[in-house]
Amino acid sequence: MNYQVYNRDLCVGSIRVLGVSSSSVLMVGDTQTIQLAATFDTPPESLLIGPFVPLTPE
Amino acid sequence: MLQRTSSVDRINIDTIAFSSVFEIGDSCFIKGFSRAIADQREAEYFNAKEGNFSVYPVFSEPIPLIPIEEDITMQTTQLNPIIRVQNIDIIGVSSSSVVHIGNSGNISMEARVKHIRQVYPKTALLKDENFS
Repeated sequence: MNYQVYNRDLCVGSIRVLGVSSSSVLMVGDTQTIQLAATFDTPPESLLIGPFVPLTPE
Repeated sequence: MLQRTSSVDRINIDTIAFSSVFEIGDSCFIKGFSRAIADQREAEYFNAKEGNFSVYPVFSEPIPLIPIEEDITMQTTQLNPIIRVQNIDIIGVSSSSVVHIGNSGNISMEARVKHIRQVYPKTALLKDENFS
């Protein structure tokens, strides 16, 4: 595949962000490669109803 | 290849926490990793010595990445080699995140979060407010 890019004027006024979290990237610039991966686990089993049992110790 | 220059007039970041980075300038390689057990409890009960990543598979399961097999030839022409931003306002940067002004080479980031909620049984809550 041939991929041709012409970078002309790039001018941004204002960027407002509340949060950048959990291995995220906010970038003003160029990069060759970028690879992001995330797992987030909230299965029904993780809703524990009943007496408070501490989690597995460290 | 001629690179572009990033020009930011003003940046304001309120908080940077938990191994996050604010980088001004170029970099070659960024590898970020963060893992968290987010436990939400109806009762204020917290023991400082609990929580073990190894018992939850979400922290060890492999994340498959499909290899790029397509052969790509990329040609970039910089007609105006400046990325201009007037103002950036960020409240928080957290958990191995990166705010980067400038160019980079290879970026690879990974986050793993296990969310647990512990609540009272509804019937018990009606019968006795101090059920534990």
